[in-house]
Amino acid sequence: MNETTQTGKVVKEKTPLDILRERRGGMSEELKEYFKEQQRIKKALRKALKDGPKSVPDLASACSLDKQVTLWHLMAMRRYGEVVEAAEQNGYPLYALKEG
Amino acid sequence: MAEIRERYDVLVIGGGIAGMQAALDLGEQGFEVLLVEKEPSIGGIMVGLNKVFPTLDCSSCICTPRMAETSHHERIQLQTYSEVRGVEKKGAGFSVSLLRKPRYVAEDKCVGCGLCELACSIDVPHEFDYGLGARRAIYIPHGNAIPQKAVLDVDHCIFCGKCEKACPTHCINYAQEPEEVNTSVGAVIIATGLNITRMDAKKEYGAGKFQNVMNPLAMERVQSSNGPYGRVLRPSDGMVPRSVAYVQCAGSRDRSIGVPYCSRVCCMYALKQALLLTHYIHGIEVTLYYMDIRAFGKGFEQFYRRAVKEGVKAVKGKVARITEAENQDLILRVEIVETGRVEERRHDLVVLSQGLLPGWHVKGVIPVQEAEDGFLMTPQAKVSPSHTTLEGVFVGGVAAGPKDIPDAIVEAGEAAMAAANYLQRSGWRATARTPLKAVK
Repeated sequence: MNETTQTGKVVKEKTPLDILRERRGGMSEELKEYFKEQQRIKKALRKALKDGPKSVPDLASACSLDKQVTLWHLMAMRRYGEVVEAAEQNGYPLYALKEG
Repeated sequence: MAEIRERYDVLVIGGGIAGMQAALDLGEQGFEVLLVEKEPSIGGIMVGLNKVFPTLDCSSCICTPRMAETSHHERIQLQTYSEVRGVEKKGAGFSVSLLRKPRYVAEDKCVGCGLCELACSIDVPHEFDYGLGARRAIYIPHGNAIPQKAVLDVDHCIFCGKCEKACPTHCINYAQEPEEVNTSVGAVIIATGLNITRMDAKKEYGAGKFQNVMNPLAMERVQSSNGPYGRVLRPSDGMVPRSVAYVQCAGSRDRSIGVPYCSRVCCMYALKQALLLTHYIHGIEVTLYYMDIRAFGKGFEQFYRRAVKEGVKAVKGKVARITEAENQDLILRVEIVETGRVEERRHDLVVLSQGLLPGWHVKGVIPVQEAEDGFLMTPQAKVSPSHTTLEGVFVGGVAAGPKDIPDAIVEAGEAAMAAANYLQRSGWRATARTPLKAVK
């Protein structure tokens, strides 16, 4: 329940999530940076895949990313249903955005 | 979360295949068992393996029924995501202190639907896939996990609250805190399994810096149908490998890294993985560089011959050094025993057959002694292989020394029998023993 101070200001009661966040000192700068970079990479991969299926080296080149980093993020997107394996070309699987 | 009772007959530490076997054998005899596992799921190493040697049976297909049986047994209480902090001899039994780590999820309400995981926005390297795949900050440990309950990795939480909003059973509980609990037991079985030697142990093999030099447990996940890539690919660029090398004794029989013993399983797991690669990838070349093949178990020699017959190249030679080419292929400098010549051979991917180390050290927690190699000391190894240096504390599985799955199960059964005998002598009872309910 919210509380009202003597000056009439309404103070929102802290939720368990607020308390946990405070106890943990909030998100570390390192985690903020990690999350931001992850969002940037995923956005770039989605954009590149809109042009059609691509292999890891092609995606890495299109997004100016390291190939290992590209593979890791692509596999994360595959695990959570954003990306599917579409075909294979020259020894590399091609990946596409999942339709629908 | 189930309450910890005041007394149990036996504490089993470790919920891998050995710990589960010991717990089941004791439960079936009417003893009350507390099974403590540090991870959020039982199953240990075995549930993450692809197939077992020499039968090539699906590993999780063998392990998961055992996990379910353990979880549902009326005399076994599971305590996952918890650590044993202290075991002390007290009267006829032992006093035990445990630390229950917070899942931030009410276990009794979570139905394992995974909606929280889908709602979470941050991807984190998944320990179950040795970092090659991803999970979310809140996640179900894996598809075969028992209990099938979510756990929040608070170190990677961005505190967005999406998981709480997505949960249909309102089981997210951010207010959970670590909890210390105490209990008493009549006997203890240590079944804490294994670690593998470190990837960076050997500088001459790249000290863990080459992306396409893998550890064998990561290769198990890569070969698994539910693995990080869904098929076999190399980690540096997602290519289907055409040439794979296994380097034997890459972490065993090596005094320079403090592992002078043979790890007993590396020859067979490497042969198994090598053979399976020839099944999974048409036209692949797989070479196993070895000094000795130790195929001593039931059906092992036949399996070795089968692997060679089906196309695995077994080359007697010592790999002196691995270097990385520009495209991240690996160049192996090998002394070939047959010709006496030193050759350089190129492969797309290398798996180091790393050795086994103890999964946990008891120092400061349980007053039993470790041997020089770090595994638990068993002073009467010939006649009582599960007895440790403290009466009433027993050991099963790899915690006593390297061994394969069948040997770990046999030894865990022996530890359970020894604990049962000890409890009969000590007269310790958690409750009056009653027959198990008949299956209708």
